[in-house]
Amino acid sequence: MIGGDDRRRWDDGRAVVRMPAEIDVTNAAEIREVLRAAASRSSSVLIIDMSATTFCDSAGVQAIIDAYNQVDARNRSRTTHTQLRLVASGVRRIIALVGIDQLIPVYSTVEAALADPAGGPHGRDQPAE
Amino acid sequence: MQVGGARAAEQGSRAELQDRLRDIQSITDAALSRLDDQELLTELLERTRAVLHADTAAVLLLDYTSGHLIAAAAAGLEEEVRQGVRIPVGRGFAGRIAAQHRPVILDRVDHSTVLNPILLAKGIRALMGVPLIASGKVIGVLHVGSLTQRQFTSEELELLELAGNRAAAALASLMARDDRVAAEALQRSLLPSALPKEVSADMAVRYVPGAGKVGGDWYDVFCAPSGHLWAVIGDVTGSGLAAAVIMGRMRSALRAYALETADPADVLARLDRKMQHFEPGALATVLCAVFEPGLDRVRICSAGHFPPVIAAPGYAAEVAEIPSGLLIGVARDARRRAATLEITPGSLFCFYTDGLIERRGQLIDQGLGRLCQAVTTQPPELACAAVMADLVGNETATDDIAVLMLRCRPSASQS
Repeated sequence: MIGGDDRRRWDDGRAVVRMPAEIDVTNAAEIREVLRAAASRSSSVLIIDMSATTFCDSAGVQAIIDAYNQVDARNRSRTTHTQLRLVASGVRRIIALVGIDQLIPVYSTVEAALADPAGGPHGRDQPAE
Repeated sequence: MQVGGARAAEQGSRAELQDRLRDIQSITDAALSRLDDQELLTELLERTRAVLHADTAAVLLLDYTSGHLIAAAAAGLEEEVRQGVRIPVGRGFAGRIAAQHRPVILDRVDHSTVLNPILLAKGIRALMGVPLIASGKVIGVLHVGSLTQRQFTSEELELLELAGNRAAAALASLMARDDRVAAEALQRSLLPSALPKEVSADMAVRYVPGAGKVGGDWYDVFCAPSGHLWAVIGDVTGSGLAAAVIMGRMRSALRAYALETADPADVLARLDRKMQHFEPGALATVLCAVFEPGLDRVRICSAGHFPPVIAAPGYAAEVAEIPSGLLIGVARDARRRAATLEITPGSLFCFYTDGLIERRGQLIDQGLGRLCQAVTTQPPELACAAVMADLVGNETATDDIAVLMLRCRPSASQS
């Protein structure tokens, strides 16, 4: 479902992981592993691209929180810093509802997420678009 | 003659082995139909002991929380169970079997090979044990012992493994059933009791477990000593007994904090701290609505939970406008804000969990739209029935669904 083609990487350490159309208990474990692998590599910017996602239940939310916790722990323990960013359109409401936008900056498009020079460190409000 | 005699003896022992095999195979089928795990284990142990001409037989089950094997049933070694013998995985005879996932045969029993003091005190001379494995996981150990010096054979080990396989399959299904029953009992015990008479509101509730599996959805309604009426709804991520247990702890912690303050944001901040400290890794959404004693105003705070849908007399129902907040269990310093809303007498509040409105292939807004159309200022029982009919209908829920309807009575001057 989420294969090699869905992961893009740039030389400057920016990376995008594309999420499938629907995330629920049937594929959340797989997604958690993909996000875990992506978060374990050093990146300057790691973008979780949910622009094609139209359904995300609590299992999907848990997978994203997992990735956040992993990046957060890495950032605390190392000198390198990864900015986690999220792109959402169809599931934007659910992302805001559970407050993930208070942890991770949320953008409407991958281009906007890639282009933002600041992104804002974790825990701050999302940047204006 | 001699050769023929040996062959006859061999055939005799093979026939006996076949009989013993049949004996073992019949164990769980007969015992399972009675569906009592203690009886099943006792039956299994008696048969195993008889079939293998052993003096003792015992089953120890693995407690995942402590990493100990705990004596669950025994034949000829009943004190093991009565004294609650516990063996750490990896140590002693049974501990080694569980750690290495493979059988062990001992023809020398002493302090160097066996940890369990009862086996030593009893004078056991030889032991043979197998792991009980269900879905690739060790769930316990089955072992037999002999009071006389003896070398257990590979045929006897096969018989014990067969008994072990049967026991593991039966135990796994019994344990899953126990978990389900316990989770359901816990859910039932947590249903809120009726509202106090002096509160001029009525309520109705629905709870439907998802795909036959009870989860971590809950609701609660109670009055604080200050006269404030609390309505709470929440959803612990995950399902089964583990989620139900966490849900129960959250519910009672929240009640305790509600004795201290009438500020729902404060209560959710305290609950978040408590959860992160005592239940690390657990995630939950919770919404608290605190009604003033006169039911003129309500303060609502959400930790990642859907806002209530509110119907006021003469108006279409709407999703309450409240600030969103981070779900419980993530960040130490999550900002918690509450909204204060004025209440028109006769208004109906519909609190719900995501299972009511989330459907694959449908945006959340569609589900919320359907809910708003279904909610009207009817008496709560009728409102529950209407919402369940419109949003669930004849579908089998995949996720838990919890619904709590609360209607403030129309004021005397109005009616």
